[in-house]
Amino acid sequence: MAANPKAVHNSIKPGRWVRSTCKMCLHSCTNLIHVTEDGIINTVEGDPTNPSNRGKLCPKGNSAIMRHYDPNRFKQPLKRTNPEKGPNVDPKWQPISWDEAFDIVAGKLKEALADDPRRIIPSLEDFQKMNIWVWPLAFGNFNFFQSGGTMCGGAYHPVNGYIHSAFAAANDAKYCNFWVNDGTGDGFSSHLHAAAQSYWVANARVDRGMKCVTVEPRLSISGAKSEEWVPIRPATDRHFALSLCHVMVSERWCDFAFLRRDTNAPYLVGPDGYFVRNAAGKVYVWDETVGQAKLWDDPTLGKLALEGSYTVEGKACKPAFQRFRDILAECSPEAMEKITTVPAATVRRLAKQLYDAAEIARDSKIEIDGRILPLRPAAYNYYRGAQGHKLGFQTNHAFKMVNFLLGNIDAPGGHMGVTLDDQWVEHGHIEPGENGMIKPTPHQLGPVPPFSWPPQTFHLMDYFPVGVHPPHLNLEVFMNPEKYGLEFRPDTMVVCHSNPLWAMQGPREKWFEFMRSMKFIVVSDIIPTETTQWADVILPSHDVFESWNMTMIEPPHTEGMCMRQPAVPPLYDTKSEEEIFTELADRLGVLDSYNQVLNFALGFVNKPELMLQPGIRYTDKEIARRKGLLWNGQDLDWYMEHGHAVTERRNDKWYRPWEGLRLHFYIEDMLKQRDDLRAKMDAAGVPYRDTWAWDDYQPLPTTRLDPVHEEPPEYDLYGIFFKDIQLNFGESLSNPWIQDIVYRDPVHIAFMLNPQTAAKKGLKATDILKVESPYGRIYGRLGLSEGWHPDTLGVSNSLSRAKGKLGGVKHAGGHFNDLLPYDLRNTDGVTGQPETVCKLRITRLDDWPQFLKDGGSVYDLVDEIALPGKGRKH
Amino acid sequence: MARYGMVFDLKRCIGCNACVVGCKQENSLPDGVFFTRTLSQEYGVYPTVNRVYIPTLCNHCEDAPCQKVCPSGATYTRPDGIVMVDPEKCIGCGSCAVACPYDQRTELKAESFKAGLFGTGEVTPFEKQGYVRFTPGMVTKCDFCSGRVDAGLDPACVVTCPTDARIFGDLDDPNSKASRLIRERGGRQPLPEKNTRPKVYYID
Ligand code: SF4
Ligand code: SF4
Ligand code: SF4
Repeated sequence: MAANPKAVHNSIKPGRWVRSTCKMCLHSCTNLIHVTEDGIINTVEGDPTNPSNRGKLCPKGNSAIMRHYDPNRFKQPLKRTNPEKGPNVDPKWQPISWDEAFDIVAGKLKEALADDPRRIIPSLEDFQKMNIWVWPLAFGNFNFFQSGGTMCGGAYHPVNGYIHSAFAAANDAKYCNFWVNDGTGDGFSSHLHAAAQSYWVANARVDRGMKCVTVEPRLSISGAKSEEWVPIRPATDRHFALSLCHVMVSERWCDFAFLRRDTNAPYLVGPDGYFVRNAAGKVYVWDETVGQAKLWDDPTLGKLALEGSYTVEGKACKPAFQRFRDILAECSPEAMEKITTVPAATVRRLAKQLYDAAEIARDSKIEIDGRILPLRPAAYNYYRGAQGHKLGFQTNHAFKMVNFLLGNIDAPGGHMGVTLDDQWVEHGHIEPGENGMIKPTPHQLGPVPPFSWPPQTFHLMDYFPVGVHPPHLNLEVFMNPEKYGLEFRPDTMVVCHSNPLWAMQGPREKWFEFMRSMKFIVVSDIIPTETTQWADVILPSHDVFESWNMTMIEPPHTEGMCMRQPAVPPLYDTKSEEEIFTELADRLGVLDSYNQVLNFALGFVNKPELMLQPGIRYTDKEIARRKGLLWNGQDLDWYMEHGHAVTERRNDKWYRPWEGLRLHFYIEDMLKQRDDLRAKMDAAGVPYRDTWAWDDYQPLPTTRLDPVHEEPPEYDLYGIFFKDIQLNFGESLSNPWIQDIVYRDPVHIAFMLNPQTAAKKGLKATDILKVESPYGRIYGRLGLSEGWHPDTLGVSNSLSRAKGKLGGVKHAGGHFNDLLPYDLRNTDGVTGQPETVCKLRITRLDDWPQFLKDGGSVYDLVDEIALPGKGRKH
Repeated sequence: MARYGMVFDLKRCIGCNACVVGCKQENSLPDGVFFTRTLSQEYGVYPTVNRVYIPTLCNHCEDAPCQKVCPSGATYTRPDGIVMVDPEKCIGCGSCAVACPYDQRTELKAESFKAGLFGTGEVTPFEKQGYVRFTPGMVTKCDFCSGRVDAGLDPACVVTCPTDARIFGDLDDPNSKASRLIRERGGRQPLPEKNTRPKVYYID
């Protein structure tokens, strides 16, 4: 770019440009960093050569400089001198040398490790550095205290693992013409690569006329940009999806050919729910053409039955599809409307629109790279809000069912599996499983602990064989350790870029007790957070402009490694996470085993020349280099020139990568997992096995209500929380530029309620409210908007910070997570997904409670800059 | 000579505010100061309600009231139509702020430079390298990133907009994307009744 010595605009001042990758959310838009001749970073722009974000950045990506120059950054290792710990207690930090810091930390960790490795509880959340995330596996520790997983997609990821053998999912913006978003901001404001995906989707909408429908309790950005907003009562999205399926099946608006050919929908299911097999374990289907049972791979198969009842091998049985039909009998739109409040007529119309848009009747085809593929340009997309429920597995499965009926799974225009990190270009994610089906891969984030009694993990991961770790159960077990048979107590916490005290559900007060029970807490981070305040030692890490990395993180339409390189030398006496954690591994005597864990986790075992060797401490740069080499054989100099190796997803891996195999319409594995766990619990005599959530294990989604609907009737509203693109993933609110936009936006400065509901309760805008659930309470100001379902109170994530003296963020009257349960009753027995909706009652207060009047709350700021009549600027 | 203007595609804009932050970054704007904003407006009654996101910036009016009232000659129009403010000449009288019907003029208060973006009294190196362009007390606004335009680049907000909702171009060139969009999708100027002849158009 042209430089002008007299320039007043930052990007054209004399300087140099460095190619790198954003880390303001977990995704990886690549960027260009402009460093002035004085060595100051003064501009971060999107990288126009990246086919994903194509020169664009979201507001967070645009605000990265403010993180780098944050005066609150940790500038050297720190040691607490105040033994008292609390959310507002000054740790009285004392600067120490790295040597002293490592001596203290390694000493404490060694002591715990020598006594019982399970005493260590890790909270390692850097999603761009899985190499740090897996660090505890070096000493066989499976404890888990980070929110990644259940507060994002605890059930979502395992179900994607079953259906697509992939981590995430997205609609195919390249060809989709009818896009349903349920409880997600994909393509508009949040989730996968927000900056990139909103470009792809805007083009589809405006240039190609793609129609969008958004199903959500609030008029989100997605809702506002859609042709239609369908308001829905919270935690009933599964029932909505099942009502769509009901109409599609009863009207025959389904891709039956797809279901017969590409799924296990025709496999015969016996009375016990298992497939009917012959002695050799082969599954039967019913051949309608000749009216007899045959094995699934019989070369003489005619048309496979999807419906009807049969008797095979002496067993009464039905095709899996018929089993689903039986469930759908009770899912008429009229019946489901009572639960969802979505008018039956709307459901019927949407089912028809989806069916028509999917071009099933004319069986549209498209040729891509010489393959003739079914074109199914209509799809149902969903994420956090819709999936985050007690019956999360069934809920995710129900959404997939709409896509199954549309025949659009991994089809052009349809609903696609999105891999997390392909590791190397040729790496395919599909493997054949048994009986002609794909191999399900529910554990998308790596190995999980084996069954054990007494439990080996504090959060009971031993008993969630297909789950993502349920970190909220740390609190449940902490409150009742004897009940769960725990033989150990974690008391040594290791944190890296994780803020569990902000991100975890359950009342803060109880989590504070949990933190107080720790004998030692070490935190590696760059700025103060709710969690850093509890640390005994702070190990400050480099930030994104000072370190190396190589990453691919679930990009929807693209693949390939994105490189981070230092744009400037470190501002302070900090180290890379790699340096910190390999130093610790070395001092703990587990360096060799850590290197071996990394060989597996990062895929180096697949190219032996890249494998990490025992006894060597690898730097961030060397790990990045090897990841780049693994991807495409290119060394760092190539990446430094190109910045990234991102291309559009290879069509053979993106479209129907499982061609020739069948997909799991019916998830028989649920029953196997249930029975296997049950047998192990019985054999071990686990005392709470009879009350375990066995009913949650279902091969098909059901209409069972989530327990949130059964809270006492005085809790007459539903509570949901939300983020938009300014707050998407991770910490943003300590950033002054983000504060400057968020606290000027009406939806982010008040508890949002529909005016009808407010009028019924005699409430008006700006009233001060106490909001209580059966689990906790928060305070805030009321805002009114017609864009809310009348049963719902909405709380922006911007109103959920817990201030600390050094916290850098403002208190907002309590945290929405305080309102959520952390118990087993509200946890999916299959995946560990907790309920993220609650029931509420609200009371008007005459004044703020004293702790908020003491000053420094979000509301002071809001009053100053955004309240009507007080100089509102936005 | 070109006549620069901007088109906002309201179908595309998702109210993400990337433009707003990108602008603060490019122009080193102090806390609470904006050269561009994205407003949102809800309309209708539940359940037939919607919200529109409306990007705004200085309209670089052909008949700019701010320029007419400026007593010092600080406000002037470049030959390519960009309305500029000369920090050397601006006496901070604020007449332009009163005259602008679009609320696009902001006074740069001396305090905001001292408090720093973090409000701690510590002014970051980023701010230090940027604030030299301003005279405290001056009344300023968007200049379409004139320096970038001179270098053949689009304004920062345009480049970063994830949905391409901001289209910058030569309104005198009938083949520019901006002119085409105005023509084909019926571009409308803000507050035409004020007769300021804005060079900003909205399409929806
Ligand atoms: S979407 Fe994420 S990676 Fe992309 S610019 Fe925004 S914060 Fe950065
Ligand atoms: S960056 Fe683009 S989409 Fe985002 S608010 Fe600005 S104009 Fe709208
Ligand atoms: S929008 Fe306001 S500041 Fe901009 S040229 Fe017109 S009158 Fe002047």
